[in-house]
Amino acid sequence: MTRPDHRVKGVDHAAFPTFDPAGTVRFYRDVLGFPVVHSICAVGWGPEDHPDFIHFFFDIGNDDRIAFFYYFGTEPFNTGPYNKTGRGDAYSAFGPEVPTYFIRSRHLAIHVDTYEDLIEYRRRLDASQWPVEMQIQHETIESIYTHDPNGYMVEITRAMRPVTPQEDLDANLTIDALLDVVAEPGPSLAKLLARKAELIVECAAQWELERAGHERP
Amino acid sequence: MTTLYVLDVPENTGVAKVAAEDPAVSVGRIGPYFEITASGAITIDRRATGCRHAVWYSAVAGVARDSRITQHDKNALRVEPV
Repeated sequence: MTRPDHRVKGVDHAAFPTFDPAGTVRFYRDVLGFPVVHSICAVGWGPEDHPDFIHFFFDIGNDDRIAFFYYFGTEPFNTGPYNKTGRGDAYSAFGPEVPTYFIRSRHLAIHVDTYEDLIEYRRRLDASQWPVEMQIQHETIESIYTHDPNGYMVEITRAMRPVTPQEDLDANLTIDALLDVVAEPGPSLAKLLARKAELIVECAAQWELERAGHERP
Repeated sequence: MTTLYVLDVPENTGVAKVAAEDPAVSVGRIGPYFEITASGAITIDRRATGCRHAVWYSAVAGVARDSRITQHDKNALRVEPV
C-alpha cells in the first residue's frame, strides 16, 4: 500500500491550561531552565464567554515548545478531586473508579541526549519543590518523572541506545497484528502474539533479504 | 511443536541464549527474529537471562498458533504446545 509522504517536522507546540501561572513559570523557566520564547496577551474574542488570556510558550529544545493558557478571572473547574486527592490535573479530574495506571498514561516526554543530561535535570528537579518521583530504565530508554504545578505528568527521557531498523519492522508488524485482533471480538495480547507470529513468518525473512539488497553497493 | 519468536536486539540476546542451553530446544533465525522451537515445552529462566523486568515482559514478539504461553512472570517464561 502506498502511503502519503511524511512532511511534518516535530512538535510546534503542545498546549495546556493553567490556573497557576506563577508556579508554571517557576517550574519550566526557573527550575528546568526552559526559555520563555513567545507569549500572546489577548483580549477575549470569539465566543462571548471567552475571558482575556495569556498564551505563553517555553522552548523544550529542537525549537519545539510547550505552551500554556492562563485565563483571567477563571477559577479551576475540577476543584474537588484534583485538589483533594491529586487524582487528575488542571485539565481533568478522576474519581476513585479510574485506575492510576490509566491516569498516568497521558504525559509529555521531553528528550535529552545523554545520561549526564538526564541526571542534570534530576538534580534541578530534586532541588525544587517538584522532585523526581520515579527514575526508570524501560526497554531501551531511561526516564525521570515528576508532576508540574498543574498536575501534568512530565517525563524526561534518554535513549540507552539508538533504535535499530529491525525494531521499526517489529513495530509495524505489531500494529498490523493489533489492527487485525481489534477487528475481532475479545482482543487480547495472546491473540496479537499469535497473529504477529504469522506476520513474522510471512514478512520477516523477505524484509531482511530486501534490506540486504538495499545495502549492497 | 512449540514456536516462539523474539526480536534480535541487544536486550533480548540473553533470552535466546538461555533458551538454547536446553538441548531439546532449537534457536534459529527468521529475518531479524530468533525462532525458538521445541517439540515439547520451552522454559526460559528470567534470572539466567539477565533481563530486567521491562525487557523481560516485552521480549516476546510472537507465539505460533499451535503454542501458548502458560507462564510469563518474574521467574520464567514457559511456552507449551496447545
